[in-house]
Amino acid sequence: MARFLAPEAFSAATEDLSLLPFNLERTGTNQYLVANMVGDFIRLTEDEMNRLIDLRIKPGDGLYEKAYAGHLITGTNQKAQRQLLAARLRSRMSFLQQVTPLHIFVVTLRCEHSCPYCQVSRRSVDRERFDMSEDTAIRALRIAFAAPTPTIKIEFQGGEPLLNFPLIRQIVEAARRDAPDGKKLEFVIASNLALLTDEVLDFCRVNSILLSTSLDGPGDLHNRNRPRPGGNSHQLAVEGIRRAQTALGRDRVGALMTTTEASLNRVENIIDEYLRLDLDGIFLRPLSPYGFCCQDQAI
Amino acid sequence: MRLMPQAAKLPAASPVEIAVDFDSSIQSLGALDAAAYRLIGAATCRIDRVGDRYVCRLAPSSNPKRGAAFNPDDMKERFLNLVVDENLRARVAEKTEGVRNVILALAFGSLAATQKDAG
Repeated sequence: MARFLAPEAFSAATEDLSLLPFNLERTGTNQYLVANMVGDFIRLTEDEMNRLIDLRIKPGDGLYEKAYAGHLITGTNQKAQRQLLAARLRSRMSFLQQVTPLHIFVVTLRCEHSCPYCQVSRRSVDRERFDMSEDTAIRALRIAFAAPTPTIKIEFQGGEPLLNFPLIRQIVEAARRDAPDGKKLEFVIASNLALLTDEVLDFCRVNSILLSTSLDGPGDLHNRNRPRPGGNSHQLAVEGIRRAQTALGRDRVGALMTTTEASLNRVENIIDEYLRLDLDGIFLRPLSPYGFCCQDQAI
Repeated sequence: MRLMPQAAKLPAASPVEIAVDFDSSIQSLGALDAAAYRLIGAATCRIDRVGDRYVCRLAPSSNPKRGAAFNPDDMKERFLNLVVDENLRARVAEKTEGVRNVILALAFGSLAATQKDAG
């Protein structure tokens, strides 16, 4: 009498399987985060990890299906999965073919704030040493113009860039004057707004300059994260946001918050603060491991 | 005894130092280096070659990042886990090098050809 073979007889032979490249990171005693070439990830136990690497898996054992769906294994002669990964990788990395439209001008390293998480290693004195020179600015502008993108975005950062507002003015005027024909220009000033003046606002309005500022949440949290003489960083930021919204338009000023340990249990307070100021988005900036941020143990 | 390059500097007078040694015929120096690198901020690791052994001398960092202070047992366990993980990464890399190159070639090979044509 004819009989069906056992289910194992219909499984792909293990020797027909091969591993696909992946990265792994231990996330606990017995847990790994495993990410394939295009960043999809799954969690595996240590035992599963070892079985996967040794290809001690077979259809129906759960791990086989998980690994196959996660593009961690493939049939040795199966081309489709390699082609799929290649296509996704090409899409994912397509930005490498584009020249960046964003050019950041750090017009000064000076700042009147002393934020412990500062990524820049701000300076408080010596304009000569820590301000960008006009000569450097003009040369940097030429580099920006050389970018083959139809639009160039110039972002002024610091330190606090408004401490060197005269140079911002010069760069914007030079850019307007010297930009190649057809090149569209966008400008952003990333400022804490503590030094915002009517002169700055007028200049921003005339030149369609966007303002980007920092708002870490309600006053106590913001001032704790962003100390300055007088302890009034939050008050000045809020006043600056409101003045900018009035002078430039609600959508011409945006804010981001830097996330510190103190922020973690204040999520609702932070969102409420943004809503109170009619800001319709929150950009969550993680701490950047540069500058003073690396030296401070308590943030 | 031939000294290997230091993966990290050991404090002059570390209060607690423990040594972990590996058979150099079965343990790659690269994985030990990578594990030592991942300890930075919590502990230092100096790797010496002593005969056919790699000796890794671990000492807690004198200025550990917050939450990263180790007692000797934890430090040893953490280091051994890191070495295991580095060995796993090396195994995966070795087993997948060929297919990785195929995928990279499929993804970007045509771009290289385009660049060549344009150049």
